[in-house]
Amino acid sequence: MEGIFRGTGLEIGSGAPTASGPADFAALLKRQGLYPGSPPVQAGQPAPCRPEETHATTILAFKFAGGVLMAGDRRATAGNTVVYDRADKVLEIDRHSLMAIAGVPATAWEMARVLEHSFQFYRRTQLQEMSLDGKVRALSKLLRDNFGFVMQGVGIVVPIFATYDTAAAAARLYFYDAMGAQFEAADYAVSGSGSPAVRSILYYANTWGPTPLREVSREQAVILALRALDTAAETDTATGGVDRRGRVYPVVKIVSGEGITTLSEEDLAATFKTEVR
Amino acid sequence: MTEEPYRWVEAISNRREYIEHQLAGGSPIVALTYAEGILFLTLSRERQKIFEIYDRITMGAIGHPGDIERLRMAAIEVASTEGFTRSTQDVSLRRLATFSLSPALKAAFEQIYGPPYLARMLFAELGREGEGNLFVRIDFDGTMHTSGGPHLRSFEAYGVLAGTAAQSAAMERHLAAGQHSGKTLKDALRTALDAWTLGHLTRDDGAPPTPEAIASAKKEQLRDAVLEAAVLDRHARHPATYRPLSQDDLGGIDD
Repeated sequence: MEGIFRGTGLEIGSGAPTASGPADFAALLKRQGLYPGSPPVQAGQPAPCRPEETHATTILAFKFAGGVLMAGDRRATAGNTVVYDRADKVLEIDRHSLMAIAGVPATAWEMARVLEHSFQFYRRTQLQEMSLDGKVRALSKLLRDNFGFVMQGVGIVVPIFATYDTAAAAARLYFYDAMGAQFEAADYAVSGSGSPAVRSILYYANTWGPTPLREVSREQAVILALRALDTAAETDTATGGVDRRGRVYPVVKIVSGEGITTLSEEDLAATFKTEVR
Repeated sequence: MTEEPYRWVEAISNRREYIEHQLAGGSPIVALTYAEGILFLTLSRERQKIFEIYDRITMGAIGHPGDIERLRMAAIEVASTEGFTRSTQDVSLRRLATFSLSPALKAAFEQIYGPPYLARMLFAELGREGEGNLFVRIDFDGTMHTSGGPHLRSFEAYGVLAGTAAQSAAMERHLAAGQHSGKTLKDALRTALDAWTLGHLTRDDGAPPTPEAIASAKKEQLRDAVLEAAVLDRHARHPATYRPLSQDDLGGIDD
């Protein structure tokens, strides 16, 4: 059958599943030429320019008593220029999954879109939810596919991924490198140019704070996240601080068994005023 | 042989007769607008018959499982690709049905050296804010049935799918006689189950089933078959509005 279904991989009359399996949305996009191919990485050939190592932003996530909290500043930069001060770097992928992005926004947002559609596509076609490991791996694969762009000096993305493990009734947290290696974080994960400061704060709070991060209440967790991002903004020009007059606050979201909660601007404004500065 | 036009017509006619015969035993499917969105309901003995296609589109189908599967996959792929490359708002049942499914089904049906699709589908789309819902039935030959007007742009409250024309006509008459859009889920489930039972009992040549026959058949069917139901929930917290109903939701339907 030609025509409408051509290129969907399921031409009527063929019915043959494709090599990558019928459940892979990224493969479907590639078959249809809708997903940009990454240039090949060739051994022995120097990269046209040095891969960019700064991912100008600060994102953080840590486990606390109520699940995983994930937060990010709002600034988007190009070199020394602030391009945008309301960027959303903490993205909802499905009902229980969050992805925070550091790196090139175009690539990162595209990855988030592919991921979001992949999980839904899998559920709809296979009539079951994708497993937790499958979801974590799907992001890893997108990063690996993107590595050609990273080597060309464009398109680096270093994300954090948080999701809820219904079987174990526990929130799970992962961070990645630009090649797609995935690491499960025990307590916290950070990424972006402002992350050294934030990482130190989280290490300190977890080790010598009044309670380990995992026992921190939701209220205290939000305070800690806002203070950590404020600290990062203090030294890192690529991390945006709070703009009270413009009502620009960091994005803070929480993953728990009930799903995803986004903290309202009012809540953040109140907490920021009384607890941060 | 089939180069001769009337032979071709004869072949198509045989093919139609064969497919109609195959589909005749299919268990009806009822889709109904109620206060919270759209309810899909059927009773089945063997396999799942109600499927999520996209954020606001659901499909119910009878026919050969292999064919249903291929059509379901194709519909999901077309909708997902559109939703990804443009926006989820650009995915519409009207376009999916008229531009993708109908021409493909017609072509498969009329190419008599290839296999036709042995399937009949009912699609429903949950309207966005301030819009009505859309119900479209697509047959194995690509014909579409809807009372939604010439451009599939005016809306109605229900859609049905059954093995025979007599069954769907009886179910449509039954549903047309009532007002459903303000019903609670529980009332909508009862209405849909009544319509299903009516369709199940309707024969091509026979008097319409009596209310007593419907009541006893309903009890019997609920005991022997599995009630399958799903909703497209207007108030869902997420863009994906499809939700299969659990046993808790279905409790009390046979009171």
